[in-house]
Amino acid sequence: MIHKSLLLVFVFAHFTRIYCDIVENSFTHLSPKNENDLLTIQHRLQLLLPEAKKSLVAIEAGDGAGSGVIISEDGLVLTAAHVIGKTGKKMHVRLPNGKRVPAVSLGGSEISDAGMLKITRKGKWPFAPIASMDKSKVSDWCFAIGHPGGYDKNRGVVVRLGRVIGKTDETLQSDSRLLGGDSGGPLFNFDGEIIAIHSRISEKSDQNFHVPIECFHTNWEFYRTGEILTFNKLVGMGFLGVGCEKTDAGLNVLNVINGSAADRIGLIKNDLLLSVDGEKLDSVEELTILISKKQPDESILLEFQRDGNTLSEKVTLGARPTQENK
Amino acid sequence: MRAKSIFFLFLSFCCQCFSDVDSNGTKVLSSDQRINGIDIQNAFGATKETAIKRTVRLLRNNKLIALGGIVSPEGYVLTKASSCVGARVAETHEGEKYDLKIKKRYEESDLALYKMISEGKTFPYIEWELENNASEGSWVIAAHSKLSEIRIGVKSGNDRAIGREGGVMGVLLTNDTSSAKGVKISEVVPQAAGYRAGLKAGDIITHADDRRVKNQDALIKIISNKDPGDVMRITLNRDDKIQKFLVTLGHRSVTFDLFNRNLQMSGSVSKRKDNFPIILQHDIPLPKESMGGPLFNIYGKCLGINIARVDRVTVFVIPASIAIECMP
Repeated sequence: MIHKSLLLVFVFAHFTRIYCDIVENSFTHLSPKNENDLLTIQHRLQLLLPEAKKSLVAIEAGDGAGSGVIISEDGLVLTAAHVIGKTGKKMHVRLPNGKRVPAVSLGGSEISDAGMLKITRKGKWPFAPIASMDKSKVSDWCFAIGHPGGYDKNRGVVVRLGRVIGKTDETLQSDSRLLGGDSGGPLFNFDGEIIAIHSRISEKSDQNFHVPIECFHTNWEFYRTGEILTFNKLVGMGFLGVGCEKTDAGLNVLNVINGSAADRIGLIKNDLLLSVDGEKLDSVEELTILISKKQPDESILLEFQRDGNTLSEKVTLGARPTQENK
Repeated sequence: MRAKSIFFLFLSFCCQCFSDVDSNGTKVLSSDQRINGIDIQNAFGATKETAIKRTVRLLRNNKLIALGGIVSPEGYVLTKASSCVGARVAETHEGEKYDLKIKKRYEESDLALYKMISEGKTFPYIEWELENNASEGSWVIAAHSKLSEIRIGVKSGNDRAIGREGGVMGVLLTNDTSSAKGVKISEVVPQAAGYRAGLKAGDIITHADDRRVKNQDALIKIISNKDPGDVMRITLNRDDKIQKFLVTLGHRSVTFDLFNRNLQMSGSVSKRKDNFPIILQHDIPLPKESMGGPLFNIYGKCLGINIARVDRVTVFVIPASIAIECMP
């Protein structure tokens, strides 16, 4: 009898574990096969939506209008750089119930289109959690909320369901459809966390662009305390002139700009960049950091691999060209 | 930290330079698995078939102008009235064509009832969902205009009434009072009502519907009492000559959408998208030629009739509770 009970407990424990795994999957990137799967997705969305909506704000920044999301109790708001325009601008945000409160724009970046602002009135504001680094993945279910076309109390907050269809370091793409006025609003995952901020749309209605939350994580202090960084401010910094992607073996060169420093030393597609000045390259970001510490005309020692042979070259850097010249 | 941030941004820029050049390294969700992909469509199973079989294409000169929902076994079809003026033929998903006869139009809801003329054929027809309008975030589907696939979305905003928009001429007026005899037109919106009637910038409007107008307010007051589609008599002074025009007023939103970035991004939208007693809202990507078709919930019950493509993320629906009043 005792023996039998133990067996049951064992089986039960095992079953619970499997069950948990299935449930977790269904919330994140379930590929629905039938009505039950679809209902699982629907119920999850409807469970998370009321709470998510509370943190949404409409931003009234003079001539333009956009959306934003409160991410701290004291009223820090994530939005898109193109919604706030410039740093230190006084504006208003509207909560879903229509209440209007004063705010001031903080920093951001034209490059990622990330921006921040702060509600200046003291209070305990409703806020939403943000997802950790690298949590969102292609195929995750997600939902966009925002004020497309501007705030409309009768209509309320507008929700759109979708999936993450692509993700790079700088851009997350989803098929949650967006419109002007959504800009700056949040994209949530099925854990109720913000994974991105709405930024741009393309002609195709299933391709909408968002600033991944990772951009905020990496540049948090800069966005919070700095000025909005523009493309113009980057011009003239050190520049190698390669586009690459991270692989396990090193940074694989995808492209070389004609006439750039990389071109002059003969880098070609599929070279593997290994180190700069003896510093091993673990990410594309690291390469850029190391290169950008230098002024144009300064030199670096670049180690790379071609056809299995490891080579070292001294490279005299160029200057980042203007956007038109890229 | 701040310095590091700048470097990161530089990286972003660098990568953006190449993002279009090579996307092989980037994992992308296959189109089948996207929210309107074929895999998700198939998950709707029998409901997908229900939607396709109970929707018909309404044609004028062999061109699709609207969809409609089959609401009775005898072949009655409910659709969007203002989209299907001149509809002669209905086509089923199997390509069968039936002549159409208009039975009734309902101005308030913009619905119209047609009948497909057949010799005793029994059609599969819609079951209405009258109990429950579905809560926000619920799946909704509608047949794609070719009746071979469906399109998928969710209920996306509050149920509500949509107010009336008055008629507009589509001209900008100036405060310039140097010509004290009337109201001067400073700009004409391309392709809008005034443009089509022949009004031009610089014209000085002296009379509207034969009433003297001395200032902007007087003119606006006369126009705002009229509806889109109403015809207004305009008398004006052009190059010191008196001329008369008939202007068929346009819709405010459509007219000034020509200046509106959101609408430029949205593509073609429905002409009438205002003045509804109550609507449901969803985000299914449908062209304006798909209006008039039925909207279904996940169980294949009909929630209402798609009545207006408002923009890229918004479709309005006349709910089943109102649509059923238009039944034969």
